[in-house]
Amino acid sequence: MTTNAGQATGHQADRTARSTSGATVDLRNLSRSFGTTRALDGLTLRLAPGELVALLGPSGCGKTTALRIVAGFETADSGTVEVDGQDVSPVPAAKRDMGMVFQSYSLFPNMSALDNVSFGLRMRRLGSAERQRRATDLLDMVGLAPQAKQYPHQLSGGQQQRVALARALAIEPRVLLLDEPLSALDAKVRLQLREQIRSLQQRLGTTTLFVTHDQEEALSMADRVGVMRDGRLEQIATPDELYDRPATPFVAEFVGIMNRIPAGLLELLGASGLAADLTPHRERPGNAVDVLVRPEGLRITASPTGNGIVVGRTFLGQLTRVSVRLSGDVVVQVDLQSTEAAGIAPGDPVDVSLAGAPVMVAER
Amino acid sequence: MAAVTGTTLVEGATPPARRARRGIRQFPVWRWVILILVGSYFVIPLVAALRFTGFSSFPQVIHQEGFSDAFQLSVKLAVITTVLTILLMLPTTVYVHLRLPRLRRLMEGVTILPIVIPPVVLIVGVLEIAPGFLKSTPYLLGLIYVVLAMPFAYRAFDAGLRALDLNTLVEAAQSLGAGWRSTLWRVMLPNLRTAMLSATVLTVALVLGEFTMASLDLYQTFPVWIVAFDQTSGPISVAASLLALFVTWIFLLGITLIGGRGSRRKGGAEVSLFSVSRQNTNPGGS
Repeated sequence: MTTNAGQATGHQADRTARSTSGATVDLRNLSRSFGTTRALDGLTLRLAPGELVALLGPSGCGKTTALRIVAGFETADSGTVEVDGQDVSPVPAAKRDMGMVFQSYSLFPNMSALDNVSFGLRMRRLGSAERQRRATDLLDMVGLAPQAKQYPHQLSGGQQQRVALARALAIEPRVLLLDEPLSALDAKVRLQLREQIRSLQQRLGTTTLFVTHDQEEALSMADRVGVMRDGRLEQIATPDELYDRPATPFVAEFVGIMNRIPAGLLELLGASGLAADLTPHRERPGNAVDVLVRPEGLRITASPTGNGIVVGRTFLGQLTRVSVRLSGDVVVQVDLQSTEAAGIAPGDPVDVSLAGAPVMVAER
Repeated sequence: MAAVTGTTLVEGATPPARRARRGIRQFPVWRWVILILVGSYFVIPLVAALRFTGFSSFPQVIHQEGFSDAFQLSVKLAVITTVLTILLMLPTTVYVHLRLPRLRRLMEGVTILPIVIPPVVLIVGVLEIAPGFLKSTPYLLGLIYVVLAMPFAYRAFDAGLRALDLNTLVEAAQSLGAGWRSTLWRVMLPNLRTAMLSATVLTVALVLGEFTMASLDLYQTFPVWIVAFDQTSGPISVAASLLALFVTWIFLLGITLIGGRGSRRKGGAEVSLFSVSRQNTNPGGS
């Protein structure tokens, strides 16, 4: 987003923002099946007023189904959706007062950007002048006032999604629903738009439910992130907590990069103490215990008699991610400052050791 | 593409001259040969008919007995058929696309039946079951033509709906507070304008040229009048046929041009009789 757009965002948001803060949204024990597939299995979630909660998870985990139930496009088999304590489950989508931005470009092709934004206001029977003023303000907020008269086919994908955002916000929704709105955009535009969405959402204080499969998006935008799996919420927490203190091995491995190291290799990594602590686990049948360690939780030093061989390296800017093969064909990834990693090349023998406590111990 | 001295070119745009040269290159000789051969197949009979009848026969056509009534009846039937076809097929096709997508294949099969079943069988069946008050009016033909137009109208609407992300547009409209009537009137219909035009063009062409049904139903539509008049005066009958052809072409061209202009301005799909291209969009970018 351009600087001008950002400035416009600030001024206009204050002018256009509704006086009240966002609504409280309660999803209570939502379940939904499609045939024999259980898309949602007792989902319970509360969004505080003005909060942005991201639902994150792999394809088919039920996050979109949850969003569509909140929007009123799907009906839950059981459970309720409450907005400010009122059960909206029987209320049709058109009367729920929720703005939604879709994954695919959803602007009405027969209408200009301005008409698209004022569509919801027309449905609310606002006068022509008021519609025009508010729609223009909203387009200004997203930095697209000069494109007001253009039709969707004359706008780029990023511009279309910004118009779609302005259109959803124009009705001053009680809840804003974002269904992977950035996934069709290229990386640079995605980054710009995600900052703009977050900035607008915070200024307007609109309670927002955001569905994405992109963990970077979820972690960078949301106040809290809910990780879903098989229709259930595995954990909901702030981005930091989710990363540092995952509740389950699934969350630990889904969020960020995680090394899974068999407990049998701990002594090799110089963690004899930890290995001893894990002995009761390891005595189980199959010796099936792993420790989960982040790439920054390992360190490597060049050593001709080391316990691993460098098999690859990926330059990430300030950091370089080095892949090392340990005995038993276990490959771990270690993050190093790029300056430190400069002298390390594939084929080099290195010594890998634990830099701190692992994130968790998990059964294999 | 970068700006070029005084002229800013839109990214991805191609200069007209280069486009024309590329167009010629992309249209190889063998295609010209086929085009000329097929074109000759259509043009030679028309030229021959024109030579046979002579230009002097054309003014006489409209003064012939029965011409006016037959032409008016055909136009009236074209209007009735088009309106009924759109009223019946558009909501049906939209409903199938939105709510019963699994029935699309069945719909395709059902709508193709009027082409598969011989016209004689159709008309005998219709006359057998049609209510008496309709049998005594030419409007029964309108209902029959609705059935005959079904394969063409369904395909036009189906192509138009496939070109739109209908589900998302409907859900977007509903999330903004639009009820079904507003969604249909303000979102669906304007975006299906091209499809409606295609359906109209095909239906009108069908009705203005249909002979068998009208003849068996004993009504003198324009095509029936032409055949009947052929017994009296060959040159005038041929002139009437050519006139009918030209009038139909002009009519269809008018519909296509009027509809296409507004649609293109708003980035709508290209008007085509048998398909509707996807709406233009610029993916990605800022």
